Amino acid sequence: MAPIVSTSSPALSTPARKQRRPNPRERTNVAMLAPVLIFVLVIALAPLVFSFAISLTDYRLTDPTQAKPFVGLGNYVKAFQDKAVTDTLVNTLVFVIGAVVSQVVLGLALAVLMSAETRFMRTLRSLAILPLALPPLIVGLIWRALYNVQIGPIPFYLKQLGVDVGRGLLGEVNTAMLAVLFIDLWQWTPLLMIIFLAGIKSLPGEIHEAAYVDGASRWQAFTRITLPLLMPVIFIGVLLRTMNAFKIFDIIFVTTGGGPGNATSVLNYHIYKVGLTFFDMGYAAALANILLFMIGVCCAIYILLLQRQRARSGDS
Amino acid sequence: MRISRTENTIRNIAAVGVVAFFLIPLIWLFTTAFKLQRDLFTLPPVWLGFEPTLRHFNFALTQTQVLRFVVNSVIISAGTTILAVVLGTLGGYAVARSRLRFVSASSYFFLVLLMIPPVAMLVPFYLIMRDLGLLGTYWAVIILDTCYNAPFVVWLMSNYFRTLPQEMEEAALVDGASHFQSFLRVTLPVAVPGIIASALYCIIFSWNDFIFALLLTSPATKTVPLSIMGQLSTSQSAWGTMAALSVFAVLPVLLIALLLNRYFVQGLTAGATKG
Repeated sequence: MAPIVSTSSPALSTPARKQRRPNPRERTNVAMLAPVLIFVLVIALAPLVFSFAISLTDYRLTDPTQAKPFVGLGNYVKAFQDKAVTDTLVNTLVFVIGAVVSQVVLGLALAVLMSAETRFMRTLRSLAILPLALPPLIVGLIWRALYNVQIGPIPFYLKQLGVDVGRGLLGEVNTAMLAVLFIDLWQWTPLLMIIFLAGIKSLPGEIHEAAYVDGASRWQAFTRITLPLLMPVIFIGVLLRTMNAFKIFDIIFVTTGGGPGNATSVLNYHIYKVGLTFFDMGYAAALANILLFMIGVCCAIYILLLQRQRARSGDS
Repeated sequence: MRISRTENTIRNIAAVGVVAFFLIPLIWLFTTAFKLQRDLFTLPPVWLGFEPTLRHFNFALTQTQVLRFVVNSVIISAGTTILAVVLGTLGGYAVARSRLRFVSASSYFFLVLLMIPPVAMLVPFYLIMRDLGLLGTYWAVIILDTCYNAPFVVWLMSNYFRTLPQEMEEAALVDGASHFQSFLRVTLPVAVPGIIASALYCIIFSWNDFIFALLLTSPATKTVPLSIMGQLSTSQSAWGTMAALSVFAVLPVLLIALLLNRYFVQGLTAGATKG
């Protein structure tokens, strides 16, 4: 195969980087990349630069004079002294870790349970992933009704079981975060299930057969063979869900509004409240940059892992 | 196979239980939309076996301008999808085929963009759109949605193009076609499944979006999810109307997930499987 490629396309065999002028093919490639690159550079980076600039000022939309006094890093210092911010930071970590761990474990279990390639199981799988398609806002709305103390089925059945539901699972400080985590689990576990399923399907079957021949139990085969081989896919699943869990907004917006108290207020939601309901733009921008930094750290880990995995699988 | 018949039965029963867990809230939504006011809040809940009514749909259609909001949602989804798929497919092809380092490495840059939390963009974007006089227009939402979707399409399509054999393209080049012509005539037709998966992802993302529309639309351009929030603030007893409006919001995406299941799954797992 190699000689055919090299005779028909010299560009592939000689490193193009060494050439001073890009050849016509590469010029076309650059021209094809340019529109999307320019689009996102203008649309995404301009606001982020602007956001950094306003985070250094005391900018309130409600201020009639519209003066934007420069305060340096004042907003960032304020953030770390603000009890509401430290509370929401803790909530964010609790939510992200809780969501990712519970969903990865459950997603893995469901992937193993539902991996059979029968027609029946395929139908069940296509039904199980329906929550993924739904608008998170509607998901929140449905669960808000299901959790509702007066009219909802969940408190009703819990009361039948003798559980004291108080002001409802979403209304009590102790249970509100758990209740929100449960909604998130309902919507996103199927995503991990199908990602892990794709991973399981790509494993070679002979390894398992060999293990069984050697007398391994199924649990041993799973923990010693399937799980280690699945690790790269699990890592990707963890990181995908981590990124998205940081962004939760709609469900909290519609179910608890961050309450009771600050019990379910995550950073993402708090920024919205500060910036677009209190119109304290400078402070909101500073908080957004802190969140961005946290996600950036996760992101760096993600790309490092990705590169290592690609290097290992020999893919360019 | 090593899996015995009884075990298979147990697995099937467990799987049915799992699916029931994922479907019950949806069933609740659809039944609520068809319940009379008096059946809405009865406890123990009546899951089935109630007298169905179209009152809430009637109310939604005549009193809430829901069709108007559906049209707005369609305009925003269609605009976003077309823009993101065109930009992303071109870029994805360049990323997959180029030997220039900055072109192929730009896929990481696109990945980073996907991780920016919407609120971090929203505060400055809101101010910029206000100053440009674009607040409340379809464009404000389409541009921001595209900014999140186009990078994803680049990522998905570049992975897809890499899986396609290059021999046909090479043959076209030998026959005198330009690089772009061979992309257009040879590669693009076989990349249709990837393009469908990308498009479905964009449609669902922009259809389901709430936060961008919340801040960037006006009463004239607001989308279906926003109209439902409007009902929530009016009165506590509007659950029937909200459920009917929600059916408008979920039906298109549910149909996509059910009827185009293969592409839907492909779009969702694209970020993970060939990562």
